[in-house]
Amino acid sequence: MEKKIIYLRDTDSAQQDRINDFFTLFSNELRDTNLIEQVQLVKIADIGLYEKGVTVKILPENIVYIGIKNNDVKKIIEETIKNNKIIKELLYEKKSKQIRAVLKNCGYIDPESMEDYIAAGGYKALVKVLTEMKPENVIDELKKSGLRGRGGAGYPTWMKWNFARGMNSLEKYVICNGDEGDPGAYMDRSVLEGDPHSVLEGMIIAGYTIGSSKGFFYIRAEYPLAVERVQKAIDQAAAAGLLGSNILGSNFNFELEIRLGAGAFVCGEETALIASIEGKRGTPHPRPPYPSVKGLWDKPTIINNVETLANIPQLIAGGGAKFASIGTEKSKGTKVFALTGKVKNSGLVEVPMGITLREIIFDIGGGILGNRDIKAIQTGGPSGGVIPREFLDTPVDYENLGKLGSIMGSGGMIAIDDTDCLVDLAKFYLKFCVDESCGKCAPCRLGGYQLLRILEKISEGNGELEDLNKLKKISYAMQKASLCGLGQSASNPVFSTIKYFEEEYRQHIVNKRCLAGKCKALVYFKILPQKCKKCGLCMKNCPSNAILGSREAGYVIDPQKCIKCGACFDICKFKAVMKE
Amino acid sequence: MKKLTKGDIEKVDPAKKDIGKNWIKVGMSTCGVAAGAGEVYLALLEESKKRNVEIDIRKCGCQGACSAEPLVEVNVEGLPKVLYGRVTKDVAITILERHVRNKKLLHDYIFEIN
Ligand SMILES: Cc1cc2nc3c(=O)[nH]c(=O)nc-3n(C[C@H](O)[C@H](O)[C@H](O)COP(=O)(O)O)c2cc1C
Ligand code: SF4
Ligand code: SF4
Repeated sequence: MEKKIIYLRDTDSAQQDRINDFFTLFSNELRDTNLIEQVQLVKIADIGLYEKGVTVKILPENIVYIGIKNNDVKKIIEETIKNNKIIKELLYEKKSKQIRAVLKNCGYIDPESMEDYIAAGGYKALVKVLTEMKPENVIDELKKSGLRGRGGAGYPTWMKWNFARGMNSLEKYVICNGDEGDPGAYMDRSVLEGDPHSVLEGMIIAGYTIGSSKGFFYIRAEYPLAVERVQKAIDQAAAAGLLGSNILGSNFNFELEIRLGAGAFVCGEETALIASIEGKRGTPHPRPPYPSVKGLWDKPTIINNVETLANIPQLIAGGGAKFASIGTEKSKGTKVFALTGKVKNSGLVEVPMGITLREIIFDIGGGILGNRDIKAIQTGGPSGGVIPREFLDTPVDYENLGKLGSIMGSGGMIAIDDTDCLVDLAKFYLKFCVDESCGKCAPCRLGGYQLLRILEKISEGNGELEDLNKLKKISYAMQKASLCGLGQSASNPVFSTIKYFEEEYRQHIVNKRCLAGKCKALVYFKILPQKCKKCGLCMKNCPSNAILGSREAGYVIDPQKCIKCGACFDICKFKAVMKE
Repeated sequence: MKKLTKGDIEKVDPAKKDIGKNWIKVGMSTCGVAAGAGEVYLALLEESKKRNVEIDIRKCGCQGACSAEPLVEVNVEGLPKVLYGRVTKDVAITILERHVRNKKLLHDYIFEIN
């Protein structure tokens, strides 16, 4: 018999881990059947499934069984291990919800080795473009693919490139936007660090298509490793003749250079970014003219996001139609999200457009930490909004998220549970935008500050109902009158939290309570005698000796001494501590 | 470096990509490095030499499971390709001894996530 491996994992998180019991059951059974030498039993840390009971995976066949009970063990050994028969009742047909297209190489190749990239099929798209495609063919493929910009707005990439291509100018520029300023987002950094050549290849193809011979990487200086790896990639490509004159024997010339950003959020906005490369102060200016007409040094320029460019090689290699076979009607391909917040497996995920939020959070992310209740999902960072749990089954694409009052944004996705306060969240994002506003135009400079003051007032317990209207009015004015996207979208977090969670605002304003316990002035901790099992854990963990009582009498909190740290709330296993 | 030609790139068949039968890859992007991947990488290099464990040790980017960093992927002939998470220096040494040398997988560190 061929050697086998059995992975074991208890995927239920609510109860005690049963895996050691099952490990013993399996090893006894293997010993009894004399198979112990042929089979390795391995307890593993994560099997990619959640809340499916005790789960095993049998290798090399990749058979997954879920919901295993004690008396299934014998059967599994007898039928599957010994006789290679599949047990239908236990079988789980695991479909991976993730698709690795942009992240295909990330984590698999050595990002500092061009040979590795080429060995994985890299630069084949460039060869294809230079040998058999005219610029208009590239545009056609892009159009067929339906690729839209991944930097936030979702503008069709082919249109942008086509405008620039049609401009009559000796000089044109390609810029890669690697500014990535949204708190919580790091997709672009991972691509630049993990697969820099894919972005280079995308840029070279962009240069060929629009007729440009010079491109810039704009990367924030806070990403030193990304800068280092991109520089290495540029040097390697230049040495191999993939950059420079007569690339791969064609008559196309292209050069690349890195420009560092100083880390201002507004410099990710395309007109501010261009000003910054020109050596001017990084402030936006009105569009039109759009950069594709009049951009860097007044020449036609395309600016694309890192992920947009990283999509280009596989799009060209596989063809636009193949690219378009993934996704929804108006949003094609995959999207990389940085999944963070109260989710068990935070990290980068790449999913097909059209996947539901629920699948991302629960099937990929493993659900909410501590099995708490999910309250909402934030997408799009400081320019986005919250989506309440009622809409968890919404397919993720540009249109749907927009309809719900949020945006796809660049790919930040934050899970929010019942311990998060949405007033506090809105305040956090607004504070960020107020700090990052360049101050050039009044609606953003003054409006943002006023919004923040009102939110602070509400979270301190001094809110009035009239404030809700004021928030809406100022938000509206900022959306309509700000010069750039920062100001236009800064109020989105406020708008959408009021839209879906007005009740929570009212709790703060009318009842002077923050039930999530984030707004310190508005929360009071209390121990419920009915639920308290008198274990005394809370008393031991209170840093301020605010819990009085004994194992006989039970416990109470002295509001005078309580510093509202929440330690007792977190530690109590019986949910006997409540916030009110 | 000599200049590449179109042919050099065209002739590559990624399906046949073979980067050696026995290798270890350490995720060395910012998330990995912040979680201690640098130390793990060095430990693997030094200890494999010291202990005479023959294996090719390489760097790679982030696979995405950032909450499980540092991530170390191990491919040894005769065993499935395995992704270990939350690897420390000690775990790295155990990987060399137990997994690479003795062909036994480690308990409690495997992440089967893709
Ligand atoms: C305040 C602000 C910040 C932005 N930051 C970024 C950023 O960090 N990265 C990015 O790609 N786009 C950013 N954008 C969007 C860019 O202006 C531009 O639309 C994008 O780079 C276009 O690329 P795409 O078509 O590939 O999405 C930002 C926009 C605004 C208004
Ligand atoms: S909206 Fe804000 S960031 Fe944008 S130009 Fe006006 S002040 Fe500056
Ligand atoms: S909230 Fe903190 S300070 Fe207050 S009673 Fe609980 S543990 Fe003590």
